[in-house]
Formats: sequence, structure tokens, C-alpha cells
Amino acid sequence: MTPQSELSDQELLARIGRITWFHSLELRPGIVTPGAKSLAVLRREEEALLGPFDLRGRSVLDIGAWNGAFSFASKRRGAARVLATDEFAWTHPTYKGLESFELARAELGLEVETLQLDPTRMDASLGQFDLVLFLGVFYHLFDPIDVLQRMRAVTGQVLLVETHQDALEREEPAMVFYPGRTLANDDTNWWGPNPPLMLHLLRQLGFARIYYRDHPHYLPAEGSRTRGIFAAILPGAEPAMSAHFGIEWRDLGAAGAMRDFRP
Amino acid sequence: MTLGPPLHEQVAALTWLQSLRLAPDLVTPGAKPEATLEAEAEALFGPLPLMGMTLLEIGAGNGGFSLAALRRGAVSAVVTDHLAWSLPGAEAGMATMLALEATGAPAQAMVLDPRALTPEFGRFDLVLGTAFFEQLFNPILALRGMSSVTGQVLLLETAQAALDEARPMLTATTRPMPYGALVSGWAPNPALMGPLLRDLGFVRVLHRAHPIEGAARGLYAAFKPDAAAGLAAGFGAPWRELAMPA
Repeated sequence: MTPQSELSDQELLARIGRITWFHSLELRPGIVTPGAKSLAVLRREEEALLGPFDLRGRSVLDIGAWNGAFSFASKRRGAARVLATDEFAWTHPTYKGLESFELARAELGLEVETLQLDPTRMDASLGQFDLVLFLGVFYHLFDPIDVLQRMRAVTGQVLLVETHQDALEREEPAMVFYPGRTLANDDTNWWGPNPPLMLHLLRQLGFARIYYRDHPHYLPAEGSRTRGIFAAILPGAEPAMSAHFGIEWRDLGAAGAMRDFRP
Repeated sequence: MTLGPPLHEQVAALTWLQSLRLAPDLVTPGAKPEATLEAEAEALFGPLPLMGMTLLEIGAGNGGFSLAALRRGAVSAVVTDHLAWSLPGAEAGMATMLALEATGAPAQAMVLDPRALTPEFGRFDLVLGTAFFEQLFNPILALRGMSSVTGQVLLLETAQAALDEARPMLTATTRPMPYGALVSGWAPNPALMGPLLRDLGFVRVLHRAHPIEGAARGLYAAFKPDAAAGLAAGFGAPWRELAMPA
């Protein structure tokens, strides 16, 4: 992994400064992109999200990669092939996501492929990937049912869904709709599912086991589980991709797994 | 051309979802009684001036609602279903064909998944879906398709849930269907229907409870921007206007 870039530190800092960053990425010793998510936050998220999987030699598809933190992390963890995709953030005039991704990739010298494609248009023609990262995307979709079905079509072993959640007090599978700017004054937020809803949908799509863990930064005590992480495993997945869930994770198919979600 | 068996024998040979009066002395032995079907048809169609309207029915079962709309003045109907007509051993499609033929209704029947609808399919004054959300894996995609072919008004009859919730909510359900399958689908609450249908291209949504089953099921009438003036004029109580977000 040798940096491809011939920019001076000065030039690199100037290019970093023209972009609004979501991920803090250390591009050179001492040069970190000023992301809304700090390096420390991203380190904890990476461990929570990717920790259970042995990615060596495997393929990873990152949906909504934005600045690329989890694409780069997957490559560093030994993935043979990583395909980073995005459209909204990559074409956004302020976020300049694709420019940011390409700048970071060149600096880090990591071999990660890119494809500018919205998940609403993905299907099996993209191929199947051992691990699909669907992080922070579900609740931004007007039709998350359709896109989750598309995600199933491109998953070879495990689909990892990280999402805002809601309706945690309800026992039945449900999702809350947010018209206009109802949620966080952001008109790109559409749905907040509860864990029973995610279990129901993922099972309907043919996933055999669904594990859940709380988001490392939205713990029950602090934010009443406003975000959760779901690892959905297809029948026949390899042990390296499906057998290393620590105590933070619970099998949602187990008896009583839903009990303490409700306040 | 050879004469087939008499109509009552053809009727008796099939499994029926709905009780349809095919002749003064011949009612199909359907799971849904004739009186229930008529009460639902009256609740759905009573307020609407159907005269001259074209109809597309989604999830028609045996086509009872299409036949009712034609009796009430609609000029033509495209009668469709998907699951109930295509599951192995399903007779509902054949039964529908027989009912349409026996009544001489100006209607055509076809297997149709509403998720596949696009404007190229045509444009219908009235689009109707009954027992709607509870039979669909993806009602959002189905409604998007149906909106794209609705010229004036969409009528829906559906299971409801989360009635205690003021927030718009969609609940997943798994229910046994009269055609013998356990089907996973959904149930909205009324708070969802205004904003959801607004985002799918409708400008006005009216709602009432089911005439027999009450609030466990709901009826909805959603109007397109270019619906004829006065089309909603007949929707008095118990219909009520749902608030639309700005």
C-alpha cells in the first residue's frame, strides 16, 4: 500500500479543505480529514460492524460509501475485492463525495473499486458479495422494502444493516413514516423500523439467522436504542462469516430476544 | 361449437372466493357472502358517480367488485389478480372468467402484479384494490404502480393496525388468506395514508371504517390533481378528510 499521490502536504490540505467531510480519515501521518465522525468514533464503529467477520480473501460491497471509511477498513482487513458505491453523497455539490473518495483512495494507496449507482437501481447483475454493507441507508429510502430486496439479490453470505430505528415500545413488527422534515428536520429521512420489523423483513427475504447489536454510540441508557445493527446471514454461509458474534450481539430468532427492546 | 355443461354445474365444479349472483336463481358458493360483498360495494362505490368510468381492479378475487361497479354505471373493467390466481391449484382465476362470461360483463381478466404497473399500461378513471395491504410483500411499490395508471381516483379497502398511534405507521402482518395460503403483508394506520398517498401523487385522501368490521379495516378514496370537479362531493359522513402534510 504505497500512496499514489504526489501532492505536497500543502496541496493535500487545500484539497481537503474544499470538501465537507463525514468521515475522519488519516490520509498521511498527522493529516486527518475533518469529518463529522471523529477517528475515535469511526474506530469503534468499525470494530462493532466488521469485528465479527474474517474478511481475508472475501468480497465486500459498500452501499452509500460516502468518504469511504468502511470500504477502506474492509480492504485493510484483507478483503480481496471491495466495491464502493454511492450516488447521493458522491454527486452532492457540498459533500463532493466521489472527489473525496478518490482523493482518500489515492493517498491511502488502497485498491478499492468505485461505482456511482443508487441502491434503488441495483440488482443481481452487479454480482454477489460475501459481505454487503448497508450502513445508514435504510431510513433514507422512500421504499426500503424494495431496496432491501435488491440488497438480498447482491448478498452472497451476509448483509449488514445499520439503521435509525423507532417504535421500540411496540411488540409487533412496525415502522414509522416521517413525512417531509418530521425526523431531524431532514427531508431525506423516511422510515424508522423496530427490531421485530427488521427480523420479519430479513426472514421474508430468505436470511436464515439475524443477529442484532446496539450501535456503539447510541446505547440504550443514552439514546433509547435510536440506532441498531443487524447482521443477516444466508443459509450456507461460511463459519468465518457467520460464527464470531460476541456478547454484544443477540440472535433475534432466539426465545425472548425481543423482550428488553421495549422500555 | 359444442355446448358445455349447464352453468350451475360449471359453478359447482369450482372453488369460489366470493358469492356472486350470476342469474336470478344462481349465486356462486363463495367464502364471502353476497350481503357482505354488497355492503362493501355500497360503502366503496355509493359516494362515487361511476357513470362512464373505466375501472382497473387489483387483487380482484372473483371480480365481484368489478361486476358491482359495472352494474353501477362503469363502462369497462380490467379485472386482475396475482397471488389468488397463480398459486398452484388456484381456481379463482377460472372462476372469475366464468363469472365474467356468464354475466356478459364488458370486462377482461388478466394476471397482474401491481408492482409491474407503468403508465404504458393505460389510464383508468378508477383504480380499486381490496384486502389490499395484507396481501402485498411491497405495498409501496404496488401503490406507486397503481398511482401511475390512476386518472382520477384510487379506492382501497384494507386491514389496519396501530390504531392507537398518532404517528404514521406501517405494521407487518402474516395472515391466512381465503385462497388457502399464509400470506405476509402489511397493515397501515389511518395516519399513514394521507402523507404516504400524497408522496405518491394524490392530493386529497378520504377515509372511513369498514361498514361491517369497523376500524379493524379501513376504506380510502384518494384523488389525483386532475380528478373531475365535484367527484368527491358525495363522500359525506362517515367518510372524513385526512390531513395532508404541507
